[in-house]
Amino acid sequence: MNFLALEFPPVSHLFDWPTIWLDDTLLAVNKTVLIYIAATIVTMLIFTLAGRPRESLVPAGIQHVAESGVTFIEKSVVMQIIGPDGKKFMPLLTSLFFFVLFSNITEVIPFIQFPANGRMAIPATLALMVWLIYNVVGVKKQGMFGYLKNSLFPPGVPWPLYTIVAPIELVSTFVVRPFSLAVRLWANMVAGHLLLVTFAILSAALWEIYYAPAVLPFAMLILMTGFEILVSFLQAFIFTILTAVYIGGSMHPEH
Amino acid sequence: MANTTETAKLAKLDTARHTKALSLFASTMTRHLQHSLMKSLLVLSVTTTAILAAAMPARAAGETIGGCVLEKLNTSFEDGNYRSLEQMLTSTASKENGKSDDDKKGGTLEKKLEGCLEAPDTIIPALDEVIWGGLAFLVLLGFMQWKGFPAVKRAMDARSEKIRNDLDAADDAKTSAQRIQTEYEEKLKNAEEKAAAIIEEARAKASQLKLDLQAQAEAEIAEKRANASAEIDANRSQAIDDLRSEIATIAVDAAEQVVAASINPETHRQLIDDYIDQVSASGAANTARTNGSP
Repeated sequence: MNFLALEFPPVSHLFDWPTIWLDDTLLAVNKTVLIYIAATIVTMLIFTLAGRPRESLVPAGIQHVAESGVTFIEKSVVMQIIGPDGKKFMPLLTSLFFFVLFSNITEVIPFIQFPANGRMAIPATLALMVWLIYNVVGVKKQGMFGYLKNSLFPPGVPWPLYTIVAPIELVSTFVVRPFSLAVRLWANMVAGHLLLVTFAILSAALWEIYYAPAVLPFAMLILMTGFEILVSFLQAFIFTILTAVYIGGSMHPEH
Repeated sequence: MANTTETAKLAKLDTARHTKALSLFASTMTRHLQHSLMKSLLVLSVTTTAILAAAMPARAAGETIGGCVLEKLNTSFEDGNYRSLEQMLTSTASKENGKSDDDKKGGTLEKKLEGCLEAPDTIIPALDEVIWGGLAFLVLLGFMQWKGFPAVKRAMDARSEKIRNDLDAADDAKTSAQRIQTEYEEKLKNAEEKAAAIIEEARAKASQLKLDLQAQAEAEIAEKRANASAEIDANRSQAIDDLRSEIATIAVDAAEQVVAASINPETHRQLIDDYIDQVSASGAANTARTNGSP
């Protein structure tokens, strides 16, 4: 077992990728960056192909992927959480969903096998952007005073409790939200990647020692790969739906 | 000579035909690539392949703890800090008890070995990834806001609209068809009723006509019978009158003959027979006249 422990790289090494291009600059390119760019290009291509006029009434292939995503976000996220006036955020939420999804799903794609959101860069950047957007929307809709009042002093709470509720809401709304949004996505992807790597290394190591025991971790590896596909979708959905919840809360404080 | 020239001409023509066909094929394919799914698929494939090709050599730091420990031990040994591996390991182990003369060396090596467990912080975002990732997302957001999302939404709306229009048209057609069907059914019902009425009327008329004809026939028969009876009676009366008159005449004649020729018994008998023959002949002639015989 010592042998296995020595074979296992330090956890952080699993997420540390050497620079491929423009080393020692602010625009250094590594595998994570390539996955971000690929996620953008693939999403753009899907929507370009899906947006072309067609004769057929039945959507198929790539068109079906794009339309399913848009319909899902419109019906299950925007209309359920924000309402009809949230439709103007559809491009943002659709972009978020597909970008996060494609940055996650690389976790199980052969030869890439790394979730770009296992690095903190994009979860933190997107969370910061979402924080900025929902605060701007709140101030725009309710005014600075109204937004702060509704955020810190939610209606329906007995006034003596405001001494406790207001600080909690302050920290929750303006500090914890972006932090939790980023950490939730990042930690899920890190955990998934660790699980896959653990079972992969275990399978390889046991295969070299003795064949039969490798079957068990390999079966788990297959199982976890399927599970991680689900997690990739789920995390993309959660990130999108929480963004909608925050924006909806800023637009409709009465809810 | 003529054959050679002809062959050369044919070969030239053949080459020209092939060149033309090739250029036509090339232009068709180019046009196809420009305006079809193939172009998009080609771009997608090339992009994905390029990214994969670039990403594949970019492996993780990939350093294992075991490999790192071995590397540090080897470096330290090669630097000449220790005479043997055994001394190095003893020194490292005894450092923990603070009893070795090689505390400094052991401590340094231990720190190096501990370094094998350290790695870059994964929580702090790398600035280059933030810049690239942020730019990539902003580009995507701009594209989606400007073109991607509206195009897909437009396509979806257009399709929904088309389906709605088709359904409306189908509803209209159905309503119209139902209206026409109702009208036809109404007309059919009216026609059937009219036909039934006509048939009934005809049947009644026929029945009436039959009754009328029957009555008329019976009346005519009765009339004819009455006429015939009257005629028979008249004929009979006439015959009786005629007969009476004839008998009277004959009787007068017979009386005249009896009186004229002193009648003997044979003559008397002869007279009576003649009279009876005359009466019989006269009766047969009357009967034949009464039955319409000529």
